[in-house]
Amino acid sequence: MTKKAKIVLAGMEKGIRVDSRILEERIQKAVTDGHRSIEIIAHGQHGIGGRLWKAGEESVLIRVLGTAGQRLGSMGFPNTFIDAIGPVSDDVGWLNAGAHIVVRGNATNGVGNAMAQGKIYVTGDTGARAMTMTKHNPRFDPPELWVLGSVGDSFAEFMAGGIAVVCGHETPRVDNILGYRPCVGMVGGKIFFRGPYKGYSSQDARLTPPDDAEWKWLTSNMKAFLDTIGRAELYPRLTGDRSAWQLLVALKPHEKHSGPSKSMGQFRKEVWDRELGARGLIGDLSDLDRSPIDVITTGILRRFVPIWENEKYLPPCQAGCPTGIPVQKRWALIREGLMEKAVDLALSYTPFPATVCGYLCPNLCMENCTRQKENLPAVDITLLGKASLKAMPPAPAPKTGKKIAVIGGGASGLSVAWQLWMKGHEPVIYEMRARLGGKITDMIPGSRIPDEVVEHELSRVSKQVQHINLKHPLTKKEFSEVKERHDFTVIAVGAQKPRMIPVPGNERAIPALEFLRQSKAGKAVVGEKVVVVGAGNVGCDAAAEAARLGAKDVTLIDIQEPASYGKERKAAEAAGAKFLWPRFTKAITETAVELTDGQILPADTVIVSIGDQPDLSFLPEDIATQRGFIVVDDHFQTSDPQVFAIGDAVKLGLLTDAIGAGRLAATAIDNVLKGWYETFDKLPPIDPGRVKLEYYDPSILAFDDPAYCASQCASCGACRDCGLCETICPVNAISRKQGDGDQYEYSVNGDKCIGCGFCAGACPTGIWLLVENEPLE
Amino acid sequence: MEPVGCLTPFTLSVKDLPWIILWDKEKCTLCGRCTAVCPVRAIELGVHRKRAINVSVGLTEKPGNLFTVYHGIDQRTDPVHACVGCGMCNLVCPNNCIIPAHNEEIDKLRFHNNVGGVPRRRGGRRNVPGVILDQIKFIRISMLTDPALDAGRHEFELRTLLGRILPPEEMVRVTQENGWTPPVREIYPLVIGSMSFGALSPNMWEGLQMGVAYLNEELGMPVRMCTGEGGCPPRLLRSRFLKYVILQIASGYFGWDEIIHALPEMKEDPCAIEIKYGQGAKPGDGGLLMWYKVNKLIAAIRGVPPGVSLPSPPTHQTKYSIEESVAKMIQSMYMGWGFRVPVYPKISGTSTALAVLNNLTRNPYAGALAIDGEDGGTGAAYNVSMNHMGHPIASNLRDAYLNLVKLGKQNEIPLFAAGGVGKSGNLAANAAALIMLGASGVQTGKYMMQAAAGCLGSESDRCNICNIGICPKGITSQDPRVDRRLDPEKVAERVVEVFLTFDTELKKIVAPLGRSTSLPIGMSDAIGIADHHAAERLSIRYVV
Repeated sequence: MTKKAKIVLAGMEKGIRVDSRILEERIQKAVTDGHRSIEIIAHGQHGIGGRLWKAGEESVLIRVLGTAGQRLGSMGFPNTFIDAIGPVSDDVGWLNAGAHIVVRGNATNGVGNAMAQGKIYVTGDTGARAMTMTKHNPRFDPPELWVLGSVGDSFAEFMAGGIAVVCGHETPRVDNILGYRPCVGMVGGKIFFRGPYKGYSSQDARLTPPDDAEWKWLTSNMKAFLDTIGRAELYPRLTGDRSAWQLLVALKPHEKHSGPSKSMGQFRKEVWDRELGARGLIGDLSDLDRSPIDVITTGILRRFVPIWENEKYLPPCQAGCPTGIPVQKRWALIREGLMEKAVDLALSYTPFPATVCGYLCPNLCMENCTRQKENLPAVDITLLGKASLKAMPPAPAPKTGKKIAVIGGGASGLSVAWQLWMKGHEPVIYEMRARLGGKITDMIPGSRIPDEVVEHELSRVSKQVQHINLKHPLTKKEFSEVKERHDFTVIAVGAQKPRMIPVPGNERAIPALEFLRQSKAGKAVVGEKVVVVGAGNVGCDAAAEAARLGAKDVTLIDIQEPASYGKERKAAEAAGAKFLWPRFTKAITETAVELTDGQILPADTVIVSIGDQPDLSFLPEDIATQRGFIVVDDHFQTSDPQVFAIGDAVKLGLLTDAIGAGRLAATAIDNVLKGWYETFDKLPPIDPGRVKLEYYDPSILAFDDPAYCASQCASCGACRDCGLCETICPVNAISRKQGDGDQYEYSVNGDKCIGCGFCAGACPTGIWLLVENEPLE
Repeated sequence: MEPVGCLTPFTLSVKDLPWIILWDKEKCTLCGRCTAVCPVRAIELGVHRKRAINVSVGLTEKPGNLFTVYHGIDQRTDPVHACVGCGMCNLVCPNNCIIPAHNEEIDKLRFHNNVGGVPRRRGGRRNVPGVILDQIKFIRISMLTDPALDAGRHEFELRTLLGRILPPEEMVRVTQENGWTPPVREIYPLVIGSMSFGALSPNMWEGLQMGVAYLNEELGMPVRMCTGEGGCPPRLLRSRFLKYVILQIASGYFGWDEIIHALPEMKEDPCAIEIKYGQGAKPGDGGLLMWYKVNKLIAAIRGVPPGVSLPSPPTHQTKYSIEESVAKMIQSMYMGWGFRVPVYPKISGTSTALAVLNNLTRNPYAGALAIDGEDGGTGAAYNVSMNHMGHPIASNLRDAYLNLVKLGKQNEIPLFAAGGVGKSGNLAANAAALIMLGASGVQTGKYMMQAAAGCLGSESDRCNICNIGICPKGITSQDPRVDRRLDPEKVAERVVEVFLTFDTELKKIVAPLGRSTSLPIGMSDAIGIADHHAAERLSIRYVV
């Protein structure tokens, strides 16, 4: 096909505007027909000059006269050169893919929108949104927009590539040639401009002077631009002053920083604190350091601190022992290999460590043993008790010369006298019976304890303590004489007077204590059928003795569920005794006990065991009593400050209660005499929950060796120096400090400790306690 | 874990607790960090005995027991030390070997957390996840119908008005007659709701205020924060930052003498005065700041001696009727600043909200009405108040707005909505939904704690121990050992980020409506919901 001459296409025919579709058909046909120069007299037709690919490599010149419509040269091809003689409407060069478009005049909005290749020269100004959404496809040269004048608002929005040049020449927009908010969302390309501007999107673009290569590009291409638009004379003016040109370049992704520019630290220092004053909002109200801290803190910033509460509480065994024997301390001494010391220690608390602890005591220490909490056998004190036979008495304190009378040489009397002797005083026991020992020697069945044990311990105490055998009941007169002669008097007469039930025939019954006394002396006789009224522990003793003496049928009755327990109860049950309750005695006949419900219990012998009362006939009236017992305060002091009373004369109890009362009364007397007070006994018992029993062997059923037994003592509340806390502390904050002699302590380095409480969690003895730290203000 | 002993009614096992600590013996290095950090001491080091049976093959020898002892992390089961699920143990664990897991069944603890006959109290929100606002969709997306805007490209001025707006004719009349027109503030529509200095730790409170100041002064966003009831630090009262502050007065009147004393020295007026009559989290109930939280600092700000309990009763003592109480309070508070500062009441969501609103419409001074719905958070409330009392904000707010429409006053008394805004994390969506239902703005507190300070509380009853002063993140504590975990600067940074994010999201929602300067307040044709009853109740479109 040969090249044809220029063709003119009219946009208006016979006064009727040619439809954009028809004009497009005619332009395409002209190109197909071989026309390469087409002049169009436009009447607002859309999209003139685009899509002329049918010309292939050959260039096509489109000259637009008249009024071009929107999107002149849209989808333009590289072969197309469009020369618009006059201003153009919106979106000139829209989606331009290579056409070179010259606008000889102004262009309205959207110049070059989304163009990817080609060039647009505008000899005047543009409207809004020029060079928006432009692209640079690396396969081709970047698109270019040259504007001799200025551009409108929102210039280069979302510009993604290409080059724009805004010359700022002869434009009515004298104070701003880039319009309002250019470069919003710009991600690529560059913009040369010359002239005043009012900001750009600094989040998207940066301003820079063109470098040499860019300047060279600008000046050489400027020539072509000016030549093309016929304004070559402007060249020196536009390129004469390099400094007049600036360049806006899209920020690269890594150069964009979202968020505010001033750091908060800077703001705090320069604005916040400056306005409010030093240390900010509340710097005037608080001196406390408020700087940030770690979640895990040490020192005063710890929320919790561990405390080494060694021996701050009583172990349950000791707390449970009415005598107050430091049972646990004895086991600790054994663990240290000091068996003798452990044995001897008991004598500081009781004159009867073997008799009572080893045989007669229900061993409240063992009942309270923490090990029982987990069904582990209690640490067996009877082993140690029995071993105490060999105990050596401690050396008494220097003599004070103070004399204290002790009325009664039973368990409580001997205890108080023993304690007073150890404290350097001079106790004198006034015993109304033939021998010392009270119930121990008088009434407790021989089956429960070997005589030689009792004898040994009695002689140990009687060697040290002066005693006077009155061998008759004390009179009021004698009592006041005794009281006169001594600094203090302690009444320890026990409860010797049996209580009897007020029923017909009660004279036929024998009081249990009397029966036991006779039995012990080998004088008691029983029939075949025995009824014991009152099934407590004394009743059980009596029942067991009756069986031993030949009774075939022993029955214990009680008005309520019997309170008997322990060894006594077991002995009675083993002897075949029957227990009946509730039963109320109506009368005692020669052959039976008649009950209120009509039942008749055949009985050859009736023993009454409903408790005993002290015989206080010697007591002066000014010493208060209640229901037959002497009234005392917490220190066993009676209403006469010079007189103390202890044991069953005050309240019926166990041997260990009586011994404990003796010790406490001695301490009270000693305190008064020396004028200051000991308090160790007053420590509260430790919460057994703090003690860890998981460390002990649960397969042990019983102990037969004191040394092994000692090793299994949980040492509640008292450090056993195992070093576990030192080991388990995750931050090595705990260390053992050796003190004088065998003194030591474990201490915490607060600067290391984080307050985790591992020491408290792991301590076998429960002496570490984690507590809240002191408030900071 | 405890040995079998005597059972008590409140003897619980781990299985009975809401949170069960999972501990991996193999991975644990016994570093002590978990037990050191646990706020409620729910875990401790435990000693365990392990038993193995030694049996020789062929039974040739007598079998024997082999006992060993090991140490591990134990969970305590007594109600006082029950795990709260905060997960701080996991946060500090170097080996990721400990974590609280939510019990899959309803816990038994709930029947026992009333030790001493005192019902459970806690912080947090109603323990019901989700909020109906989450279901509201923005269905009007203008592409070609309205001038669609681009949230990223266009400039937005999302502002709202706080204060009584007079209709033009009234404005003319009022100006002529008494020369006073009510003050109106142009503020950002998301307000940081009332959380007191005392309920929040000093570092948290300062962080929030610092962030607000930054937003105003560095970014030009007129964000406001309400003090809550607890006074306002004297320095803030005397600073220019006061204009970013809404001062709250409530039934305890704490700190108000300090505010009055500061009047002569104020450089700026506060943004507004909020009169608190009710709170969404605990409608009808007051507050009590326990004496042990009233340290020197709190005492100074509240104008009380340290170490006394500070009750905020459920009601204001000297107000006996709605007419009287509202009029009296509003008048008084206006006078404090020479009628230059807008004053508005805040009530809890309630079926009586319209009565209050109608009253306000007749009161020419009423600057707005804030309504706090049932999903609001609090530092301390009875569990029963939190879980079971109050009105949901959506319908309450909607009723209020439509009532204003009926009166023709919808552009005159701004409504501010609160209570669960952003409960599920959808702050902007919830806010936009409320705005289109008729709110002029929203208030949010709990979201700020979560987003700006990492609050661990959840509606699955996680943590929620704000009330006992041992907030593991230091947000609601007065103990420097805890609250110094929080860096005010970092809180402020997060406040800024939250607002920038909110701003972008709100733009994304309103841009398709063609709104860039005026909020679409009450533009309910733009929202819909896939729940017919909800749609009917809220008078919005039912969309499926």
